[in-house]
Amino acid sequence: MLMSEIITVYSAEVMRRLRSRTFFLGLVFGIIGVVVIIELPQWFDSYSRQTDRILLAGNPQLVAAARPLLAKDFVVAGNWDGSGAPSLEMLKARRAAAVVAIARGASGVRVTLYAKDPGMISASQLRRDLVPLNLQFDAGIRPQRIGALLNIPVRTQSLVAKFGTAAESDAARAVAYILLVLLYILIMVNSQLIMSSVAEEKTSRIAELLVASVNPGALLAGKVGASATLALGQMAIWVAVAWALSASGQGQVAAPSGSEGSGFSFTGISSSDVAGFVVFFLVGFLQTSTLFAAIASLINRTEDLGSIAGPMFVPVVAGFIIAISALAVPDSPAVIVTSFIPLIAPFVMFARIVVSSVPAWQIAASLAINIAAICAIAVLGGKIYRVGMLLYGRTPRLSQIWHAINA
Amino acid sequence: MLTASHIRKEFGSVSAVRDVSFTIPRGSTFGLLGPNGAGKTTTMRMIVGIYPVDGGSITWNGAAIDDRSRRRFGYLPEERGLYGKMKVREQIVYFGRLHGLHDPEIGERADTWIRQLGLGGYAQRPCGELSKGNQQKVQVACAAVHDPELLILDEPFSGLDPVNADVLLNMLNDLKKRGTTLVLSSHQMWQLEQICDTFCIITDGENRASGTLQELRSAWPTRVVKVEPATAALRTVLDRIPHARALETNGALYYEVPASTTYPALLRELVDADAVTRFDAIEPSLQDIYLHAISNPPPTGNAHE
Repeated sequence: MLMSEIITVYSAEVMRRLRSRTFFLGLVFGIIGVVVIIELPQWFDSYSRQTDRILLAGNPQLVAAARPLLAKDFVVAGNWDGSGAPSLEMLKARRAAAVVAIARGASGVRVTLYAKDPGMISASQLRRDLVPLNLQFDAGIRPQRIGALLNIPVRTQSLVAKFGTAAESDAARAVAYILLVLLYILIMVNSQLIMSSVAEEKTSRIAELLVASVNPGALLAGKVGASATLALGQMAIWVAVAWALSASGQGQVAAPSGSEGSGFSFTGISSSDVAGFVVFFLVGFLQTSTLFAAIASLINRTEDLGSIAGPMFVPVVAGFIIAISALAVPDSPAVIVTSFIPLIAPFVMFARIVVSSVPAWQIAASLAINIAAICAIAVLGGKIYRVGMLLYGRTPRLSQIWHAINA
Repeated sequence: MLTASHIRKEFGSVSAVRDVSFTIPRGSTFGLLGPNGAGKTTTMRMIVGIYPVDGGSITWNGAAIDDRSRRRFGYLPEERGLYGKMKVREQIVYFGRLHGLHDPEIGERADTWIRQLGLGGYAQRPCGELSKGNQQKVQVACAAVHDPELLILDEPFSGLDPVNADVLLNMLNDLKKRGTTLVLSSHQMWQLEQICDTFCIITDGENRASGTLQELRSAWPTRVVKVEPATAALRTVLDRIPHARALETNGALYYEVPASTTYPALLRELVDADAVTRFDAIEPSLQDIYLHAISNPPPTGNAHE
């Protein structure tokens, strides 16, 4: 009977949410967000390519020799054969950021840089790129040979089994970064939707009719279950959009700042990352949404929602911030400890799993602790919810809530 | 049969219900009366299982009330509420489902209720767009769509205009005819008098009086007699009745007399004294009994305890 009540509430909640404008808008804005996240780096990239466009000036033979050397770091848009300093209008007309005038003197190659914004063109990069010219003129070594000599191969050998190369490690950080943001958004948004739904039932005074008709535990379970299903469905659609963009060759998300990798594609997300995401989303969502629903049952006006729920956001936000730090230092003692703490662990442990090799016992222990926490929160939240739904008047004090749940 | 035996409920240091007992035979209609804060709503909430009892017991057909029996109950709380964006028919169907009804029966019942309550034009409208009276009708339908064995209605007439109150009264009479046990609370005594078989008056969380209207009247210590015309001779006869008290003279003599007064003998004495044009023995109304019960300590001669 309890199961049939849960299913009834679950179905009704799913239908209500599916028909609601907020769900539709959330889905659409989420898709727009995903497209923006994927496309934005390319837009920035195309802009930065414009800032790297240079024109070469000087002796044609010297320019011809310099062109392949500079092409590694700059877009050589052509030559400029004018005399004197180039004008800003000319640079704009040729959509270039600078003119690099190359000359050969007694002490070697000399470069004069005429730039719209000198900060946009790296002088040290120019210097490094043109070193082979000096060596060629001074020591007579062929540029190809110089290039080979300068390119000392460095082979990175990871001591942990998780990643073989620095590029793989950086790609994993990028995956974790994006998925953490998604995890945070999904947990927060859907938990707040449950909170609003409970607050609506409380403030519209339908709560008493509901708890007289259905077990409050079933009511809460049906709501949380429906919200989790829709959140996962929403996420599946967003990820599918991201995957489709990646598969079509458009999606390449930049790696987080500070990493050396070039980023990752959504098509490269491993199945274990997806499984970890789903598991830790469910763990985090069940903890947060149950707490939020219980807290929402205590308010009498929707305006009070923010003030009473504010403290509840703290552990979730803290979990997200610690998880972002964990991407850089996944094995620091603070990160390891927090990866077991309920409400925080879903973010931190997930980040650790994606970017490092976490011992299996730690994952199992964290899951066990957090699943036990879900049970404890469900019991406590259920009691608060049962009592809170019928408490009208002033927002109750903590001591009153304590008395009520012990009644 | 619903039996509440010495039930008690406390919230911290506040005793909402101290000691309330009553028995409601199956198929009968029961009026729970009391002033605001008397413990009526808490008692109703204990019956439907929203609050557990702190003491005493409540049984339905001799067994403790559990989730299974609660599904066969219907409850209209005093605090009204609906999902504002949900359509009328959809809302009634949802509550039917929560009480274990299935398709296609649930749809047929919802349509019947919509028709009976005159909500046909609003079936596909969101509840939030309905007038207060129509919203209340929807709530009644939500509480009763599953044809409950026991239907508890807390202040069902409050906020209804006379026409809608009449619609509700007819609907309750229909349910009564179909054998539904009804428990009602209301401050509209005349409406309860029309529909209820038995009553229980509580105040400060305790029984003050209970029984049928006849039993409550029997336990009432006085009656009022009205005699016309208001002559001195007739007044003298009435003054001679032990413990009689003159109430008012408004073209007629009104006297409160002990319930034990024998009316035929009194009438003979009055006729002998003067020409009597009118003699009425006025039975106490439910309102009189209620007002007396809540302002006095419990009388020893309660019809039922």
